[in-house]
Amino acid sequence: MNPTVAAASVLAAALAVGLGAIGPGIGQGNAAGRAVEGIARQPEAEGKIRGTLLLSLAFMEALTIYGLVVALVLLFANPFS
Amino acid sequence: MNSPEPSLETAAESSSQSQESLAVGTPDVAPVEIQPVDGAPIALSPEPDASMQEYYQLQEQLLKLTLILTGAIFIPVWIFYSLNIALNYLLGACTGVVYLRMLARNVAQLGRQRKQLGSSRLAILIGVIIVASQLHDLKIMPIFLGFLTYKAAIIFYMLQTTILPDSQ
Repeated sequence: MNPTVAAASVLAAALAVGLGAIGPGIGQGNAAGRAVEGIARQPEAEGKIRGTLLLSLAFMEALTIYGLVVALVLLFANPFS
Repeated sequence: MNSPEPSLETAAESSSQSQESLAVGTPDVAPVEIQPVDGAPIALSPEPDASMQEYYQLQEQLLKLTLILTGAIFIPVWIFYSLNIALNYLLGACTGVVYLRMLARNVAQLGRQRKQLGSSRLAILIGVIIVASQLHDLKIMPIFLGFLTYKAAIIFYMLQTTILPDSQ
């Protein structure tokens, strides 16, 4: 593989995972913290709160997964090599 | 809905607003008076509440929907592409089911056994994608699209509960 392409791929992979994880990380932390606070306030609504948290986390984590897959493809199955 | 009393001391007004929005649908539930302090851990009772049945039901429903969608997509992929591609899709869908189960377990343990959500479940996807990139028989795209089947199941569930709320 061309060294320039290899270096660019590694940098792009790092940026894809690193930048792609910032937003979902902050969002997941906020959502989980608020959900636990909500459960502590209203234990009766625990099932509903956890269900809402599960659905929202599943959507949020997808953004990280997209970045991760792009990075893995660049590293292990690079189409530009 | 019984909103918290004005005299109830909260750490921040924004937190109480978000909790109100999370507790939509529980009109008769009176809020428990707690005084959270920013940064202090909130201790939940170690035993799950009876309302957790609703959560387990949702978890089971999502897993069933994912498996049904997997079966429904597997056959057309087999017909229109090949058995090899369909098996790749199946591998990805199974990975997605395991991932969803791990996510659901992490959410159920949050605040009880765990203080934070881990990201170990992503290791499954990383492992599968790396193996797929190294072996010639495995293709990345069908595996990745198979993995996303759980998301289709969640969207289906959300649409079902939004359009037909009485169907549950």
